[in-house]
This record gives sequence, C-alpha cells and structure tokens, in this order.
Amino acid sequence: MEYQENTISKNNFEECIKCTICTVYCPVTVVNPDYPGPKQGGPDGERYRLKKPFFYDEALKYCLNCKRCEVACPSNVKIGDIIQLARIKYSKHPPTLRDRMLAETDVMGTLATPFAPIVNGMLRMKPVKKIMDSVLKIDDGRTFPTYASQKFSSWYKKHAGSSQGAYPRQVVYFHGCYVQYNFPQLGKDLVTLMNAVGYGVQLLEKEKCCGVAKIANKLINDAMRDARINLKSIRKAVIDDNMQVIATSSTCTFTMRDEYLHILGLDNLDVRDDIMLATRFLYNLIDEGKVKLVFKDGYQKRVAYHTPCHMEKLGWSIYSTSLLKMIPGLDFIQLDSNCCGIAGTYGFKKENYEYSQGIGRPLFDQILESKVDVVATDCETCKWQIEMSTGMPVANPVSILAEAIDVEKTKMANGIDV
Amino acid sequence: MSQENKRHYDVIIIGGGATGAGTARDCAMRGLKTLLVERFDFTAGATGRNHGLLHSGARYAVTDSESASECIKENMILRRIARHCVDDTGGLFVTLPEDDLDYQHNFVKCCREAGIDAEPIDPQEAIRLEPAVNHEIIGAVKVPDGAIDPFRLTVANVVSARKDGADILTYHEVIAFERERDRIIGVKLRDNKNGEIITRYADLVINAGGIWGHHIAELAGVRINMFPAKGALLIFGHRINNVVINRCRKPADADILVPGDTISLIGTTSSRIPYDQIDNMDVTPEEVDVLMREGTKIAPALAYTRILRAYAGVRPLVAADHDPSGRSISRGIVCLDHAKRDGLEGFITITGGKLMTYRLMAEWATDLACKKLGKDAKCRTAEVPLPGSELEAHEGGTVMTHHKAHVIELSTDQKAAEERHGSLSSEISYKTLADEAVVCECEQVSVGELKYAIDSLHCENLINLRRRTRLGMGTCQGELCACRAAGILVKANKCAERTLRDLSSFINERWKGMYPVAWGESLVEGQFMSWLYEGVCGLDEIALPEDKIDAK
Amino acid sequence: MKYDSIIIGGGISGLVCGISLLKAGQKVAIVSSGQSALHFNSGAFELFGRKDGKDISNPLEEVARVPEGHPYAKLGIDIIKKLLPQVKPLFAEAGITLVGSDTENHYRFTPIGMFKPAWLSMLDYATASSPDNLPWGKVAVVNITGFLDFYPDFIARGLNLAGLECETRDFTIPELDTLRKSSTEMRATNIARFITGEAIRHFAEEVNRIITETNADTVLMPAVVGLFDEEPVRLLREQVTRPLYYVSTMPMSLCGMRAQMRLRNHFQHLGGSYLIGDTVYSGDLDAGRLSSIHTVNLGDMALEADRFVLATGSFFSHGLEATPNKVFEPVFNLDVNVEGPRSGWCDMDLYNRQRYMGFGVITDDSFHVYKNGRRVDNMQAIGAVAGGHDAIKEESGGGVAILTAMKVASDIVNGLK
Repeated sequence: MEYQENTISKNNFEECIKCTICTVYCPVTVVNPDYPGPKQGGPDGERYRLKKPFFYDEALKYCLNCKRCEVACPSNVKIGDIIQLARIKYSKHPPTLRDRMLAETDVMGTLATPFAPIVNGMLRMKPVKKIMDSVLKIDDGRTFPTYASQKFSSWYKKHAGSSQGAYPRQVVYFHGCYVQYNFPQLGKDLVTLMNAVGYGVQLLEKEKCCGVAKIANKLINDAMRDARINLKSIRKAVIDDNMQVIATSSTCTFTMRDEYLHILGLDNLDVRDDIMLATRFLYNLIDEGKVKLVFKDGYQKRVAYHTPCHMEKLGWSIYSTSLLKMIPGLDFIQLDSNCCGIAGTYGFKKENYEYSQGIGRPLFDQILESKVDVVATDCETCKWQIEMSTGMPVANPVSILAEAIDVEKTKMANGIDV
Repeated sequence: MSQENKRHYDVIIIGGGATGAGTARDCAMRGLKTLLVERFDFTAGATGRNHGLLHSGARYAVTDSESASECIKENMILRRIARHCVDDTGGLFVTLPEDDLDYQHNFVKCCREAGIDAEPIDPQEAIRLEPAVNHEIIGAVKVPDGAIDPFRLTVANVVSARKDGADILTYHEVIAFERERDRIIGVKLRDNKNGEIITRYADLVINAGGIWGHHIAELAGVRINMFPAKGALLIFGHRINNVVINRCRKPADADILVPGDTISLIGTTSSRIPYDQIDNMDVTPEEVDVLMREGTKIAPALAYTRILRAYAGVRPLVAADHDPSGRSISRGIVCLDHAKRDGLEGFITITGGKLMTYRLMAEWATDLACKKLGKDAKCRTAEVPLPGSELEAHEGGTVMTHHKAHVIELSTDQKAAEERHGSLSSEISYKTLADEAVVCECEQVSVGELKYAIDSLHCENLINLRRRTRLGMGTCQGELCACRAAGILVKANKCAERTLRDLSSFINERWKGMYPVAWGESLVEGQFMSWLYEGVCGLDEIALPEDKIDAK
Repeated sequence: MKYDSIIIGGGISGLVCGISLLKAGQKVAIVSSGQSALHFNSGAFELFGRKDGKDISNPLEEVARVPEGHPYAKLGIDIIKKLLPQVKPLFAEAGITLVGSDTENHYRFTPIGMFKPAWLSMLDYATASSPDNLPWGKVAVVNITGFLDFYPDFIARGLNLAGLECETRDFTIPELDTLRKSSTEMRATNIARFITGEAIRHFAEEVNRIITETNADTVLMPAVVGLFDEEPVRLLREQVTRPLYYVSTMPMSLCGMRAQMRLRNHFQHLGGSYLIGDTVYSGDLDAGRLSSIHTVNLGDMALEADRFVLATGSFFSHGLEATPNKVFEPVFNLDVNVEGPRSGWCDMDLYNRQRYMGFGVITDDSFHVYKNGRRVDNMQAIGAVAGGHDAIKEESGGGVAILTAMKVASDIVNGLK
C-alpha cells in the first residue's frame, strides 16, 4: 500500500525535528528576551495556533524576517514564512500611522523629492527628530536616508531613455524606491555598466514599491495591490517583450521572487526565474563568455563585502562577490554573514532601535577592524545602517563595478559602438 | 502490626482509570472514607489509550440505543462539570461515495430516538465547517461530539476525591485479598516502587480495574468473563481537523478522526486478543496500513501528514453471565454485586462501559456501595464541577493570576498551562525567572508547571509527568525535554540513579510508539534521539528500572 | 559555474574533503542544505569505540578487523594508518585543538555523567585515560542558574560511582540577566555569546569563589564558552585557580558548532565557495558520468565540475529518506544498501541495534556510487551516507566521516579513476 510518499505540511512546519539549529542563527533572540525565537515562534507555535488562535504571541512582531533561520534549517522548514504568515493572520494590533508612513515608500518619496533639500534638512533637525520620536515612535537616534531632488525615472526619461534602444540587447531594470527617491546614482551606475556590455536598459511600464515594507507592517492589501501591478508589468516585459528583469536591491529581488509567492500567495512562477539581481545577470553573461569587462588601470581599493540577509537567503552572494573579485587591484574581504539589524523599517521603530543596533554590533565591529576603503553590499537598508553605525562608506557592487571598469574599452571588447 | 498497617476504610477502590478515580470522587463526596489504589499510574490502562472522544452517542445510535442515550446524557454533564477537559469541537458523520447513503436516514432517526441532536447538512456546508474532510463526501450529519482529555479528567477526579478526604496510593498493586470467611475485608498491596507489602482494610472493596479487573476478580476467587479487544490508533503531528469526523456507516476500522489538544488521532482497529496479551500493546505494520487506508478516506491529508506515534488500548468487553463463549457481549455498564452473584460479601465489580460513561459507572458503583454500607447520600457528581472547571471561562480571562515579569500578555506556555489545568493553573507558581523557563518546547510545559505536577499531582517519574502535563507528547516525542525534565525531577526525588533509569525507560517508551511509524520525519527524529541519548549521553548503559514503572 | 570538484553536504565530512582539495590547489564548492549534524557533536570524535557492547581500548586494532563492506575495510588499514597522522594538523589549521591517540582510546565524560570511549576530544573537555582512575580529586560541578541542558546531579552520580567526592553549585553573572528573561532561549550557544570580554573575568571570579567555598581540586562546567573560537576557553582557564574542564551539554553542542564554524571559515579562507541554505535537486548524469548539478537557489544556472562528492549524511541530514515502503537517496536516486520491508529496519527497543543506522548508498571499494547498477565514475560518497557502519553502536561516525573524506580527496587529487 502506498501512502506517506511525501509528508508535506504548509511551509514544512512538520518537517521540524526540533534540532534547535535555527535558534543559534537568529539575530534577535540574543538581544531581545521577549522574542520567543524562530523555533518557538515558528513550528512550535504553529501547532498551538492551529489549535486556537488564542495562542498567537504578539511578540512575533520582533521577528526581522531576515530568514536566517530558514537558511540554517537542515530540514527545509520555512520558519520565517511561518512567522510572517502568523503575524498577518493572527495579530490583533493594526498598523499605526507610523507603520504606514514607513511602509508607504512610494507616497512618501513622491511627496518628498520635489522638496528634497527642505525635507532632508528637516529630517536632520533635532526638534523634528524629537517630535518624530515622541509622536510617531520613530527613533531619534536614527539618521534618515536623504531624498534626491530628482527621481531616477525623471533622470532616465530626460538623459538615458531615448538612447537605450540603440544597444543590441535589452534588459528591464526594476529600480525600486531607494534608487527612485533616495539614490538615483546607483541606477545611473547600472545603466553605465549594462550599456558598456551592450545592454540597453528599459524600465517597467509601471513600477510600484516591491512591497517588502508593507508586508513587514502587515499592510497586506496594499502590498497585494502593488505586487499585482508589478507582476503585470513584469509579465509584459518577460513574456511579451522577451526581456529579463534585473534589480540592484537584494531585498526587492527576494520579495518579488519569494515573498509574492509564499507570503502574498501570488503565483509568479511563470516569471520568477526571469527576475534577478543585476550581478547574477552579469555574472551569467561573463561565465557563458557572452560579454567581457575591461577594468581601468591602477584601480586600488580594499573592499569588504557584507552579505545582506535576503542575499543569504537567495544564495546569490556568490555572483556579487565573484564579480568584485574580478577587479584587479581590489583587495577583497568577505565579512562574516551577520545581520546588520536594520531589516528595512524595523530598525526605524523606536521600540526596536536598541535591538537593531545590538544585532548589528558584531558586523559593525568587524567592519571597523577590517580597515577597508569601502563596504560593498547589495541592500540599501544595510547601506544606511552600516553608514550610520560605522561611518564607513557603503556601495552597491554595481556602483563599484561601474567605477572600476574602463567604459570605452569594455564597449570595444564587446563590440559595442553606441 | 503497626498502627499504620491497620488503616481501615469504608471503601477501597482498585484501579486508577477514569472509572476508579470517578468512583473515588463519588464515594468521597458522599462522605465515605475512601482509599484509591492503582498498581502503576493513573490512566495507565485503557483510560489513557483511546480516542479521547467526547461521544455524542451517535456512533452507537443504530447498534446500541441504550449506550447511545447514556452517552448523550453524560456528554451534556461532562460539558458542565469538566469544562477544562472538554473541547467542544462538534462532530460530523460523513458518507463517502462508497458508503450507502440510506444508512444516514436510519442513523438520524436512531440518533433522535436516543435524544441526540443529529442534523443532516449539505456536504458543502460540512466541507466549510471542516475543510480537512474528504471533499467527495455525499452526505453529512452534524452531531454534538467533542474531544475530552482522559488524563486531565482522571486527575481532576483524583484531586476532587482528595479534597473530600480520600487517600490515594499509586504504584500499589493488589496482590491478594484479606478475607474473613465469605467476606473480603481488605487488600494486600505491593508497593511497585520498592517491593514493600502493606495491608489496608475496608468494609467494601470495589474492583474498577477495567480489563485487569478480570484478574483482580480471580484473586478474590470469583470469575468474570472478559474478552479483551485491542484497538490501535495513530497520532498525527498537528491538528488536521478541528471538528470530529466520523464515518456514517456501521462502526468499523479507522472511522473516527478526533482533534485532541495539539494533535489529531485516527482509530481504531479492533481485534480480539487472548487475555494473556493485554499488557502487550504493540502496533503491527498491518494495523498501521489499515488505519492509513481507511483514515485517508475520511481525511485525505492523513496521507501526507507526519505521524508521531502509534499505540493501542484494550476495551474491556464483558460477556453476559453463563455465556463463556463471549457471543453475547455487552458494551454497556456491568455492575456486579458479588454477594448476590457469587456469595462473596464486601466485593463489587464495576466494568464494561466506556470512558464517556465513567461518571455514570461511578454513580452506579457508589449507589450500590452506599446501599450495602447503609449510607444514605445522594450522588452529586453530575452537578458539582470538577476541580479546575469551577470557572466559566479560562481562556486568558479569569485566571490570570500569574504574569511574566517582562511581557504584558501571558506567554504561550502559560496559556497552555491554563488550558491543561483550568482554574487549577493558578496554583502553578512562577516565583523566579527559572520557573518560567520552558522545558518541553513542543507542548509548552514550563519548569513551574512541572514543579506543580510533582508537588500536587502524584508524580513519581517522567511518564507521570507526561500524563499530567503533555511533557514529551509533542513533535519531538521527548527528545529535547526528557533530559531537562529528569534534571528537574531529580531535584525533587534526590535520587540520580532512579531518575536516570527512569529517563532511560521514558525515552525507550517514546521510541516504542515511534517505531511502528518510523519513516519520514519520525525516523529522522528517532535517529536524532539515538544520537543524543545513546551516542552523546550513553543512556543505553543505564539499566532499566528494576521495578515495573508502568504497564509497558 | 565551473569547479574542479563540488561537494554536496557541508558537514564534517564535506568540509574535511573540501579543505583537503583546496590545499591541493583545486577550485571547490560545497553546497549545503542547512546546517549540519556536527552541531550535535559530543565534544569528541570516535574512531572505533565499542564492539558488541564492550569498550575498545585500541581503536586501530578494531579498525583492521572490520568486516567486508565496512568503510574502514574499503579504506584498508594501510591507507588509514597513512591518513591518521594528518587529522590533528588539519583541524589545528582550522583552529580546532584535538587531543587523543589513534591507538589508545581515552574516555569522555557525557552530559549524564557516563564515560564513553573517544578518539580525539576537543580542547579542555573532561576526559580521562580510564574511568577507574580519575585524576580530578575533589570536584566542583558548577552550572549556570536556570540553564536546563546540563545536569549536575547526574554528573555527580557519575563521579561518586568513580569514587570521587564532589559538590554541585550554580551561579550566574550579570551579563546573563537579559538572556535569562527569555523562557526558551537560555541555550548553550546563546550563553556563549555573552561570555566574552569582561564577562569572562566575572565568570572566573564566580568559579573561583565556588572553588574556595568547596575546596575543590577540579571544576567541571557545561560547555558554554567559546562559540566562535577557542580564545574564551583559554582565557577562562587562565583566570580560574584550579583545573577547569568542560562537559558537553544537550543540544546545541557548543563544541560542535564551533568546529563547524572554524572548518567552514577555514574552507572559505582557502578560497572555497560555501553555498549554504541551498539544495541540490538533480544532476545531469550520462553514461556513468555526472556533468553538472542543479540547485534550488541557482535555478537554471548549473554547477559544473569534473568530480563530485556526496557527503549528505544520514537520515538526519536528509542524505537518505524513508517512506513506509522504501529508503532512497533523494538527490540522484542512487542505489542504496537497503533490503526488505520496514518491519526489519528498526528494533522495538531503542537501545538494541537498529539496522537503519547502517543504511547508505552502495559504493565500490573506492567509494564510487551506483545508479541502477551502473557505477558513476566521477562521484564518490563519504561519511554517513556511505553507510555500512553503525556510528552509534561502534562509535565510529567521526572516524568514518574524516577518513573517507581525506581518502576521497586524495583520490581526486591523484586522479584515480
């Protein structure tokens, strides 16, 4: 008789054999004793919640959603997903105004960019920070990312869009909120890099925030709405126009590939494989011998690479680090894989600030000891956190590559004449 | 003979199952000086080895209307008096495409005749009520089934009896009766922990030993024909269903799926076994196959849900007197006055019945006892709530007398303790942070709860602790918590040797339930258990307890 | 992505093999689906500890006597003798100090106070050449207040049986106050995170106070110090006035985790790629040759290599899986050494021999695996998944994992077919 050929429970929580390995790799439990930890909050708690929702523990809000528990689990239990889904399903605490403001990256960005110098100045002012701290519970120790005065998409339209069609091959860029509102330079670097290897960079027909902040703040309906819009645009690009979608943020990439599917329950399997990080896209092309990079002479930098949590979960740091290691004159250091503590909007919240900084401390210490010129990482919120907490400059590998290549020679090597 | 050895009671009850404990409670409440003796632990027999189903009686409606109406009456009583042991899940009787839908009509009619509120509903409605049910069902009937925790129920009866002055002796086995001519005047007991023999006297001895009552009667020189029927069950890793699912057909194998606390149970098989096999409750691969084959028909999820363990129990079926063949078996209550039946004074037997009717059995036995002892007292067990069930709501409502020092709401283990002990959970003390530490992470048992069980609920060993608290009953089957619990127990009993032997037998007992279903994660868990306890610790070198710790 | 060798499985066997290959100049990747069983290590590795329920004193003698089909028999005693001297240096390079002899087992003291034979023990663990003659004098067994995975009463029983006097005490330090508030996370590894820097001094002061109070000659304590490296272990010892030894705790095992981290760091430091949290789900196998493998994370990008090593462990690590009717190797569905129905896999008594412990993939004498009866020429199996030994009953798991890994690495380097 054939039965139990597979034992599959939702998120594999029954696969948990209570080995406790996940608890070792949770960055939160050691700094916050109120957090029940991945094992208790995840598979253990799930059995009880299935019995009665009464057993939901509001302390699960302290989960960073870093997924390090999932990476560590030898039994393939989706511990992080179990916890996030439980928060969405059972928490009785609705998102606050503060949560909404932090999560509505599109709205806030659209409002702020036209007045960027004023907003940036205000966000740095002590009285404003105090008010945000006391009224909104956004910690006043936190340095806010500055807003750019011109949105990336506006720059693109004005300076880049029209020339992209001239390149022999095309790729679509999901820039994300950070590039759009705060740091368009990374987007510009991406265009430089991709153009150099013969790829024109297109934008999605319509791009919304990937939704990671909304998911974290339980604004699920809003996240769903944005995700559907993004998926529609991505489908058009991938299926109709036969282009792949690349991003420069590991978190946006991870969210669109995995959280859409596992947390929001949106079927993205038709396009999932075509959503990827720019470094993976580029590495692939180089690995297959399709493109070449030619680097500047005399480039000298000591660079430490920090693996963002969602990059660890994607398992893709090998692409970014392999590309960095290709740069002659780059002295590469791999930092231990530790969470920086920011986890998107988590670290901005007053109740989490102290934990956030505590979680990041081992990483900060290692960075300060490593005596590097720049820290490389694929996540924008890691960048804020590390810059704020160590004073070290942080750059996306794409920016470092764009800086290190000799654009003209690279174009020549790839036979590009644009 | 010492003073201690001359202790005299009005009544001695043999057997620490639900019936014995219930009888002790009833006797004590009616003012009888009562002693309850149990050879191992409470619930070690059939009480702890069944479905934990709060029958509506519907299952018996067609075949045994008397049992059915007894069940529904007791069902309603237990909902009142044993709130903290009952989970009001509701139940469904579903008809599969391969079953005869005509059965349903007669079934509903018989239910109603027995006073059971059976309501045929649209199959789609049934699927909405319980999504785990097979979506192919062609018929469904809603009945007032529920789940009942036999461990909690029995212990609540013991606590109640104790409050009314009853004495309790666990690990004391009756090895002989003291007689005076044609009258039983007492029992000779062996302490199964240390082998000491003591004698206790009483005007009346009540045999509530379930299937083992056959042997007890023999010791007294009378004969009861019992026909042991073995029933095997499987425990699944989590709650698959939140409503009891029964199959609407003539009772057969594996046709009831019960959500019990954090798990679901499918059962049972039914096979007659020789009397000498009643302590040998191994589940065979064939029984597992039958349970899976039939079980997946009512809830397809069973086919891919982790099985934690398999176990079996024995139903005490009693043959009518003068029918040694056992053909005319009764599932009803049998209350025998051996003075009338066999000319033996001072001895009665209460047997047959089922977990559902334990209280009624106790009432019958106590009624007879009172009559024989000339005591005029009315039974009140149907009205007075059991200890732990006195309060209306215990769901984070009225019993929040204890708090964690550092969080605003109850932690999961404290919520779980409330569910397990009802209002008695207020007796758990969380004096220090260490008391709040969780020992059993799967079933959320804290140090404080274990200490309470050790101090107040007759716990000598880890198996006792498991039955009182669910320690080691969860996903990992004790792999993570058994050693921790042993570390706490040893602080109370001060005997490392005994506790280590206990640990060794506890782990082995857990494995005995796992090995019939040792594939998938259960095999992984088993390997992990071996690595830790044999490989890392060397527990295999610890001898098993010399005394018999338990039936198994 | 192209490598010289790819190892599937990042536990002790995979890491030892990977390090050996890197040192020979190979380009190596390890794909590891989650963390490894090394996390539950007892603080020691065993070469051959027990036979027929009896302790073995000279493991090498027993290794030479194993029956055909045992991994040691496939290695051959000559090769084993050649490899053994390389073990300690390999671990030392990674920052793991091991003590012990290849020809004379010592005894390690277990979390419940039993003595078990061991081959190589981690630095400063409680070990003795014989349980009958313990050199510890009067012992203070100390525990951290509220730590549930260490059992001073059972340890004391073991010491008393060995004729030693002992006292049990517990204590705490302020640095642990935060962690203590958690009702579940007071675990060995979490405690170790706090016993660094100043806390080591406070810890030592408490231990010294207990030494003075009890007048103990030796201190035994749970292994809760030194998560990332051995430095805190040394520092604490230096500051305690009497010899201090560690006893392993129930999981997590600190020493196992430290070994895992050190080996992994060493592997990466030597230039190896360690892909953690990724699962290999298929391979391109043609005419007895595996050309590439596919993983969940890397998707359509195959990992190519000349040689592959299967180091996926036993059931615990999902190197093998079981359904009610069969045992199989889940990545490639390689041939396994399992016969008969499940009723024969296990024994009802946990402490009897469990046949499933010896299950594994079928290999030839050079550990090449088979699929559908055909040898895969460029894939070898090492460690627990290679089967043919009972790691629990023989106490041979560590030795098999390490030695098969070294042997296969040297085969690969020497280009042996």
